[in-house]
Formats: sequence, structure tokens, C-alpha cells
Amino acid sequence: MGILRALFLGIYLIAGIVQASELSVAIGVQDPSQLAMSGNVIPPNMPGSELIAFNDDLAREICRRINARCTVSFVPFSAVLPGVEDRRFDLGFGNLLRTPEREKRVAFSAPIWRSSSRLLGTPAAAEAFATKLGHPVSVDTLRDARVAALEGSQQLAFLNAIASQRGLAVSSRTTAQEVIEALRNNSVDFGLLSVQSAYALLNRDTTRQIEFIGSAVADRGLGGTVHIALPLQNDTLRRSVDQAIAAIRGDGSFQRIARRHFPLGLD
Amino acid sequence: MVTREFRERYRARTAFVILATTFALLFGVVVALLAMDQHRVLEASQRLQQDTIPQIIRFQRLARNLEQIRQEGERVFSATTPEGRQQSLFLIMLVASHPSILEHPQSAEAARDAERFLIETGNLASGDRSQISQRHAEWQNISKRLSLLVDDLSVQGASLATDDLNEMVAVMQLARAKLIGALILVGGFLLLLILLLNRHLIRPLQRIDQTLSSLSVDQPAPEFPDARMAEIHAVEQATRRLHDSLAANEAARRELELLANRDGLTGLINRRHFMVIADAELQHTQGQGRPAVIALGDLDYFKRLNDTYGHAAGDTVLQAFALLLEESFRQSDLVCRYGGEEFAFLFPDSTVEQARALADRFRQRVADHDIRLPDGLLIRVTLCIGLADASKSTIESALHDADFALYEAKRLGRNRVIVAAETA
Repeated sequence: MGILRALFLGIYLIAGIVQASELSVAIGVQDPSQLAMSGNVIPPNMPGSELIAFNDDLAREICRRINARCTVSFVPFSAVLPGVEDRRFDLGFGNLLRTPEREKRVAFSAPIWRSSSRLLGTPAAAEAFATKLGHPVSVDTLRDARVAALEGSQQLAFLNAIASQRGLAVSSRTTAQEVIEALRNNSVDFGLLSVQSAYALLNRDTTRQIEFIGSAVADRGLGGTVHIALPLQNDTLRRSVDQAIAAIRGDGSFQRIARRHFPLGLD
Repeated sequence: MVTREFRERYRARTAFVILATTFALLFGVVVALLAMDQHRVLEASQRLQQDTIPQIIRFQRLARNLEQIRQEGERVFSATTPEGRQQSLFLIMLVASHPSILEHPQSAEAARDAERFLIETGNLASGDRSQISQRHAEWQNISKRLSLLVDDLSVQGASLATDDLNEMVAVMQLARAKLIGALILVGGFLLLLILLLNRHLIRPLQRIDQTLSSLSVDQPAPEFPDARMAEIHAVEQATRRLHDSLAANEAARRELELLANRDGLTGLINRRHFMVIADAELQHTQGQGRPAVIALGDLDYFKRLNDTYGHAAGDTVLQAFALLLEESFRQSDLVCRYGGEEFAFLFPDSTVEQARALADRFRQRVADHDIRLPDGLLIRVTLCIGLADASKSTIESALHDADFALYEAKRLGRNRVIVAAETA
């Protein structure tokens, strides 16, 4: 009996070692200063820390469910997809919308939440453009303005697509915080960001210089389901992650993580 | 003559193959119908799981988000500081931007109106605090509209499940009705099968069994109702043929027995058979203490008759004599051709005197009877009869005594009846 017990224990340990894989996780940051930090040391009162902490918690929970040891790296949003595409990262978090173009580059997990986009700007800019255009400013009515968006984002792709038609001067920024800064120093008239990213940054802004302008938009590629990016042709990992997401949703862990960082349900 | 209408008959195997096939087809149809219902239930449950429940969850989230907008709107009015009001407004903008609200036009419009009104209120309140109380009545209407929408969405979500569940219940009830129908069908079919088996196999077999058990030549030929099963009909026909065969065998046996026990010329029983049945009859009579008489008779001058008229004439005389014998004696009396022109008699239940009178009357009748020979000549013959009391003796002893008396009758001049005791 002792020999058999030892044999089973050995098999179990070997199986555990084999199964426990190393995964590299990329999380898009909100502020350039966060690039050098790790999840444990990002101060909770930093701009955008909620979204990063949420992604960090979610990534660690998924890693725990799939029995993987994960190493988390904070990278600019624009570096998430290329990093996963080049297989430098196994999992990419960053409010990533699923689009046909992106599906050619990376695989996507099951949805983790839903997102929309909204214009940001100062009340003065909103009023000035409303007067100039003759009606309130929104994504649909915006024209002849300087607009910034996150580099590599769907918002930037959308603005670029309508720029010539609407007379827009489109520019990109590496992080969402840089878009906010550009609005503050009047480098741009408006910014187009995902609502969650903007909320995470503006939530702690007591100056209230920047506010949402117009209605949110979820169509035309500016909203929809948000996913985790994974390398193509790694169906085993994708299936494991999907199962973990289903389990996390099923037992209420997802809702607890979301409530820990946001005052509303994300899905 | 009774004519029976021709009826088509079926081979049992063919009939049961047809029945089994019909049953299998009917059962298959019922099973297919039930399978269709099961498929519908599966489809409905899959739809419930894959479409309806996610849709319900979406409605619940939408209702939750709208309710959150309403509650944050209440906080805008109840907030004591501009920061608290701004915090609620900011949250309202965030929730109103959620895709779950944007994709539902009615909710999107309500959320947009609420957001616009509350932002306006916030802006006005930053300059004039009294605006809060002035705009509260209007907010009550917007809040009520949001509440009604939340209720509608909650009911709408629940109704989605109700529709699917109602459909599943309807299908299950239909399936239950079909199942009951199937059970009735199977029960009815089994009942029909039992009735058919009983009518066309079991009862005919019982009739055949009873008929074969009591099959006898003494019974009339068996009659069967017209069977529909070819095999049963064949067995019944074979039973009838068996009865006919038994009857034919019995007739042949009786014919052979007749030939073995009768004298070929006169038709009277022969000596061997007489000895068997006379002995049995004598023992029976003696057993009951009743009298019996044995007699031997012999035609007088029969050799001379043969020599004079020929053997054919002798045969004619013997045949005519035999006819007279049968006409003259009682049914209970036994007569045989003992050999040549000699005849033996048994008179049961007769005393010697009675037998003597009977024999004497017969002797006289023979003597008076004209016998026509083949050539047309009429002749008369006489005979002698010797009687012996057989009430207490064996047949052999009685025959011996009778023979002695016959000899005495011949010696005394023929054409007479002599009782053995008289010569003793």
C-alpha cells in the first residue's frame, strides 16, 4: 500500500508540474508612469488605477483557474495586440474590442464585459462647437475639430476613417491619460475614448475640467463586447481561458471583482 | 346437400407477420410522434438556455442599470455638496453609456433624457441652490418613467421564460396524451391479438384436442366450424380423414370376422364360433340358474340325395334348410352348421320340454316344406334332432349326449326328435 501511495503521489506531483505552465500577461496602462510599475504597487488613487487593478485581478483569477503561473507586465495599449501577435504575451488585457481585422492577428476569448465610446472635452469647447455647428456636439455631428484617441484603438481607426469627410485633425496618444492631458492643455478639442477608460481617469479628477460630451456610441466599431487577446493557433489555451471565464462568471467571482473596482456592473 | 361458401384462408405465419408488421408500423409512428415532441421540448429547452435566459439576463442588467440611473438621480437631488452631486452625475453618464442601454432604444432615450436633465440641474444648481427644489417635481416624472420602464423590462424578461415554458408544457401535455394514446393502442392491439389467437388458434386446437380424445368409429364423423387458419383447417381435415380411416378399418374388421365365423354356404355361424359363444352363453345361463338345452340335428338320407340329384342340389337343400332355421327359431336361440348336413342348437332359458316342442315343430315344418332344386324339381327332406339338457353340464358333455340322442333317433327310423335322458 505504501508503494502504491508513493507512486500515486509521484504521478500527481509530476502531473501538477507538467500542467502548471508559465504564462505572460500584458495589461494596457492608463498613464505612462504606470509602465514601470507592477500590479501590487500601483497606488490605488492613481488615475485609471481601477481599470488596471480590475484587469490585474481578473488575469490572476483566470491564471489560478487554469493552473498557470502568470507574469504580469504593464504596457501601453498599443503594445498589447502586437505583443500577443508576436507571442511575447500569452494573454492581453486592455478593453479590447473584437473586430474582423484584429481577428486576423490574434484570437479572442469569450466576452468579459461590454464597452462603448464617448467624446470627452471641456464644457467650453463643447459650447463653442455647439454654437459653431448650430447643434450639440456628438460623435455624429463632430466636424472641423482636433480630436485625439488612443494609439491602436478602434476609436482612432474610426476617427481616421471619417477624418477627411468631417474635416477632423486626428492625433493619437500612447495612453488615455495623455489624451486627457491634451484636452487640458488645449492641444486637442475633443478626445474619443472608451467610457470605462475615461471613467477610470476622470473619476478621481476633482477639477472637473473634462466631461463627457454627447451621447455614448456602441455601433460602428466603437462598442461591443470586450475580450482577452490570445495568440492565434493556441486553441487549448483559449478553451481553458473560456472555461475559466465561464466558471468565474458562474460562481460570482467576476461580479465581485468588478464591484471591487467599479460602482456598476460592467456586463 | 349442404354447400359451404368458400372462404379465403390465411397461413398462420403470414397472418402473424402481417399483424406484427402492422403493430410495428403503428408503434413506430407513435414513437416517431413522441420523438418529434421530445425534439420540440429539447429545442425549446435549448432555446431557453441559449437565447431566452441570456436575453432575460440582458433585461435584468438593463433594468438594473436604469434603476441605478434613477437612484443616482435621486442622489443628485439629495446631495449636500457639489462634489457629491458631481460624483453622482459622473456615474449617471457612465451607466447611460453602457451598451446594454444604448442597444435598447426606449431605454437609451429614457437614460439620455434623464442624463440631460440631471446634468442641466447640476449646472443650474452650481449657481443657484434653489434650482434643486424647483426642478424636483419634474425629476419625479422622469424618475417615475424610469421606474415604470424598469418594471416593464423586468416583466418582459420574465415573460420570455413564461412563453418558452408554456410551449414546453403544451408539448409535454401533447406528448402525455400521445403516450396515453400509445398505451391504449398497444393495449387494444394486444387484446385484439389475444382475441384472434383465442378464436383462430386456441379454440380450434381445443376442439381438435377434444375430437381426437374421443375419436371413435362408434361416434359420427367429427364436424368443425370453417376455420380461417390454413394450418388449423388442414389438421381438421386430417382429423376427419382419420375418422373415415378408422371407420373403414372397423368395417373391414367386421367383414373379416363375419367371414371367419360364418359358414360360407348357409350363412349360419360355423362350429368354431358356435363353440365359443355357446359356451359363454351357457355359462351365463347356468350362472343365473336358468335352464338350457343343447341339440344336434341331421338331415335324413342326405348322402343319397347328393348321389341322386348332385351336390348342387345338396347345397340348395342346405341353403333352404338354413333359411327355415332362421325363420323358425327365436332370436335368443343359437344355431350353427356343425358340419356337412349336421346342425347344432342352443336353446337358452328353455326346459327340455319346451325345447322338444320347439324342435318337433321345426322337424314337422321341414318335413312339410317343399324345396325347389336348381332343375325345378320339388323335393322334401326330413331330419332327426337329438336334445340334451345342458342346465348343469358342460357344452361338450351336452353335445355328446345330444349326439347320442341323434344317433338313437336315426336308429329308430328317422324324422323324429329324441331327448337324451330318454335313452339313458
